[in-house]
Amino acid sequence: MNISNSVTKKDHLPKMNGKALYVADYSTDGILFGRLFYSSKTRARILKVNIPVLPEGYLTVDKNDVPGENRVHIVMDDTPVFVDDTVEYIGDPILMVVGPDEDEVARLLSEITVDYEDLTPVLDISDPDATVFFDYHYGKGDVDKAFSEADKVYTEKFRTGRQEQAYLEPQGMIAEPHDGRITVHGSLQCPYYVHGAVAKAMGFEASRVQIKQDVTGGGFGGKEAFPSILACQVAVAAHKAGKPVRVIFGRREDMEFTSKRHPSLCTYKAAVKDGRITAMDIDVMYDGGAYTTLSAVVLQRGIICANGIYKMDNLRVHGRAIKTNTVPSGAYRGFGAPQTFFAVEMMMDHIAKDLKVEALAFKQAHIVVQGDETSTGGKYHFPVPVPEMIEEVDKASNFREKKKKYVRQTGRYRRGIGMSMVFHGAGFTGSGERDFIKAVVKLHKYADGTVEVLASNADIGQGLKTTFSKIVAHELNMPLERVIFHNPDTDRVPDSGPTVASRSLMIVGELLRRASINLLSDWVDGEDRIVEEHFTEPDFIIPFYLDRFHGDAYPTYAWSVSAIEVEVDTFTGLSKILGAWGSFDVGTPIDMNIVVGQMEGGFLQGIGYASIEQIDADRKGRIRNNSFSDYIIPTSMDVPNLNVMMHIEKYPLGPYGAKGAGEIPLVGAPGAYLEAMEQALEANLNYIPFSAEDTMKVLRGEVK
Amino acid sequence: MNSNIIKFILNGNEVSYAGPAGARLLDVLREEFRLTGVKCGCSEGECGACAVIIDGMLANSCMVAMGRINGSHVMTIEGYAGTERFAALDKAYASVSAVQCGFCIPGMILASECILSKTPHPTEEQIRDGISGNLCRCTGYNAIVTAIMSASKEGNGLW
Amino acid sequence: MVNGYYPQSLKEALELRAACDAVPYSGGTDLMIQSNENTNYLFLHNVPELKRVSENHEYIRIGAGCTYTELIDHPLTPAILKEAVSQIAAPATRNFGTVGGNIGNGSAKADSALIFFVTDSILRLASSKSERLLPIKEFYLGRKQLALAPDELIVEILIPKTSLCSYYYKKVGARNAQAISRVCFAGLMDIVDGRIVKCATAFGAVSEVVLRLPDLDARLTGKTIAEAKAARPEFLKSYEQAIVPISGRISAEYRKDVCMNLLGDFLDTFGI
Repeated sequence: MNISNSVTKKDHLPKMNGKALYVADYSTDGILFGRLFYSSKTRARILKVNIPVLPEGYLTVDKNDVPGENRVHIVMDDTPVFVDDTVEYIGDPILMVVGPDEDEVARLLSEITVDYEDLTPVLDISDPDATVFFDYHYGKGDVDKAFSEADKVYTEKFRTGRQEQAYLEPQGMIAEPHDGRITVHGSLQCPYYVHGAVAKAMGFEASRVQIKQDVTGGGFGGKEAFPSILACQVAVAAHKAGKPVRVIFGRREDMEFTSKRHPSLCTYKAAVKDGRITAMDIDVMYDGGAYTTLSAVVLQRGIICANGIYKMDNLRVHGRAIKTNTVPSGAYRGFGAPQTFFAVEMMMDHIAKDLKVEALAFKQAHIVVQGDETSTGGKYHFPVPVPEMIEEVDKASNFREKKKKYVRQTGRYRRGIGMSMVFHGAGFTGSGERDFIKAVVKLHKYADGTVEVLASNADIGQGLKTTFSKIVAHELNMPLERVIFHNPDTDRVPDSGPTVASRSLMIVGELLRRASINLLSDWVDGEDRIVEEHFTEPDFIIPFYLDRFHGDAYPTYAWSVSAIEVEVDTFTGLSKILGAWGSFDVGTPIDMNIVVGQMEGGFLQGIGYASIEQIDADRKGRIRNNSFSDYIIPTSMDVPNLNVMMHIEKYPLGPYGAKGAGEIPLVGAPGAYLEAMEQALEANLNYIPFSAEDTMKVLRGEVK
Repeated sequence: MNSNIIKFILNGNEVSYAGPAGARLLDVLREEFRLTGVKCGCSEGECGACAVIIDGMLANSCMVAMGRINGSHVMTIEGYAGTERFAALDKAYASVSAVQCGFCIPGMILASECILSKTPHPTEEQIRDGISGNLCRCTGYNAIVTAIMSASKEGNGLW
Repeated sequence: MVNGYYPQSLKEALELRAACDAVPYSGGTDLMIQSNENTNYLFLHNVPELKRVSENHEYIRIGAGCTYTELIDHPLTPAILKEAVSQIAAPATRNFGTVGGNIGNGSAKADSALIFFVTDSILRLASSKSERLLPIKEFYLGRKQLALAPDELIVEILIPKTSLCSYYYKKVGARNAQAISRVCFAGLMDIVDGRIVKCATAFGAVSEVVLRLPDLDARLTGKTIAEAKAARPEFLKSYEQAIVPISGRISAEYRKDVCMNLLGDFLDTFGI
């Protein structure tokens, strides 16, 4: 039986009939409501916080109430639970107001004032006073020699903007103190990340903390690290109050104050000799916002991908994550790769144009093949199916024909088509799986023959409840209904690692498959038994050393080729997307409908990132469009012609050939979109989001 | 006519509400009637997660004051879920795994009902227009559109 | 403590409007964004006089309480109005939002108000003591400032029937659906026997109030097509000077460019 055959998802019905309980759906009997009070200053010292008289049963919670360390553990520990002495961005949480009536809590919140002493903020990553959080260098070959021998050297800068994850369910947490322990449950992707953070902030041993994931309404990375902050805040509040406390964000609050995709400024230099690129010298700058959070890891991935899917024997890459006094940037599907892939795809386009060669042919001449060295001296151990995928996408979209056709356009409506080709490194960067995560899964076979999956990965819509269960059911030759997978509870499941980095199916799914084989080998009917499986790094991996950025950064890669066709209305600047086609290789789909659904959703998010999703901040760094009415995400009307094709290149060490799938669909969309816009506007473009207004600016240049 | 008690039909049952006429229907449904299938995604009538059906019309319950539904019929996903039409949509949505995180789904299902009750055999364009006020961040909308189309075909005279 | 009033007739509604401190609630789709549960509301959805759509010799009469969906479905609704309200928000909002509420919000982005401006519609305003007719242009005093007395309600919009069929409409938002207008433009051009009998234009979302400049439009009225073509450059130039868009998150240059492009296209559409 083919594992890819689609099944009815295990959590389908409760989500359909409204019975699934998200964190905001739990009864609020006996629970206190909390609301956070945020800094209204970009950077300032707090002189005094003026709190109104609090009625009986109402309290405020701040840095002084943190029993453990006033730091949220996210890689490094610089994010405060509640602000210490200085606020570092508009939105830095200063305190929480807690009480039994929500409206009263809101009223008290509105009466709080703060005396600040203004400090000088930094809002631009190019500011010489900016703090550099992380600074990495790596390279290979002889870049300087290649540049000195080049026929021509190209230099260009590329920019990408902030992107808001816009999960439909806002952030929320409930903390309950009981029996000397604290239980926190809510909307989250990584129960053990939250567990570690709460234990540290509370000063509790691990056994006193319990974290439970509730049904989660989307994450996309936005609930990878941020929930740790909120969880610490509610835990501290509940501990002080001696009662359960819940915080559910409003949409405006969520959009304005939670983590978003890192904006970037990348400078690419390329040496060309005899019509081929012989070297690239790349400088990457990511805007990390006010605290480090995940910037180190995002930057690592971004710079590893900086030369794209192109063979580059001479490569120099410099990357910096820079502090600005803005909302701390964090994880979002793609995790640093979309920024550099956008830049390198546009760079290749522009060089091809200058050389007067067809961009697709130019790119094709540089694509890596199996056996080639990666940017970091690792190896593409497995086949690179991009050439076949290009043909698939060309056939579906008539790319080459349209590329030739849409030239010398003078009418009101002008068309363009673009294509990009990218990879996404599956799994954690480098030796993270082996050295930090050390994933463990368990299977519990009950006496009645049902089997429970015990893993800490969270179903956030991507279907893990179903796909994990399918793997176990398939291997044990059992009906799917007899496999159980509850939302993870750290009291009950081992740490199989976070739900990030497109690792869940590939790494944890494979552990479950092996555990199932183990369970089956010694199956005794009526026996109650638990088996455990631990991660081991595959033998073929060339060890990765972060200090030198050398080795296999990833065991394997998901690949994608995307084409997008646009029609620009030169009167209004608006672009209509006539079609979007994507071929995606994520190895064997564990469930075809689920995987296709992930590809379609991610592709549309990538299109939004390139076009209509724009975050505007004012001169103080305050985000001005913090609602769905003015942070524009695609609706059902925006891309009616979205086509996904699966190209299957099995990964031998993934379950049934599966590899990382979650992020790849987003990464290629921006390059394809902007290349299409370039053709429609007959201009070289180098930033996203590229809006109707930007289109008009280009057209104005043409007219005047 | 002034009245402090608001009476309406909720999921087929006569109910009454004694609170302020200016309270949001969304809050009353979730908190007083514990109908948590009605979700709060934005509080501005932009996302459709709070959608209910009032007197046969799709409505964003966050944009409706209680006084407006005095004497009206209000249906939430909980009331709709027992119907044959729901069963047809359930089957259709399941067949293409159109439910991912699920937060948009109750509103999306009620929007599906409103499309099909007005136009039992809609074009794809009519379907897309009918759900244009229901934001989904997970699916890219294709599977949902396919599901509604398939329900209209398999629906066998239900609409 | 009463905080909801439910008049069953216009007379009752107007009496309550005068006597009670309650906010008129038509569709609620704008009001509820800043909702406060302790606000007193005057619910108007049961007032039949506000829901009528009729026509007489001179006007099509649209009740202020008609929702966008009701107008889309009504055979008497002029095509230009149907087109505009079909593009407002999304189905759930269209089911409850009303033209009276759209006007009463006082915003220059109001999509239906634009149509009422370009058609030189007249508002019928009533209080418990009296009634008056007011051209819509005189109803808007400035940004979100309306010439509505505290005891008045908007009852009807009277759309003059002349030259309604030959129109141009374009809404420019940030995406294809459920988008607040960044620029919207409506135009009427009625040509009879090769001569322009009516030219009317209006621009929404560019100024504090919908921009309607009948004196500029009048320069084309009475002209033959050939004469109008000759007058085109001057016509466009006068609008180029008259349109001074507000700048916000969307730049004034963008708004200006789009306005001028649409105005030019409007003329092109009618062979001018």
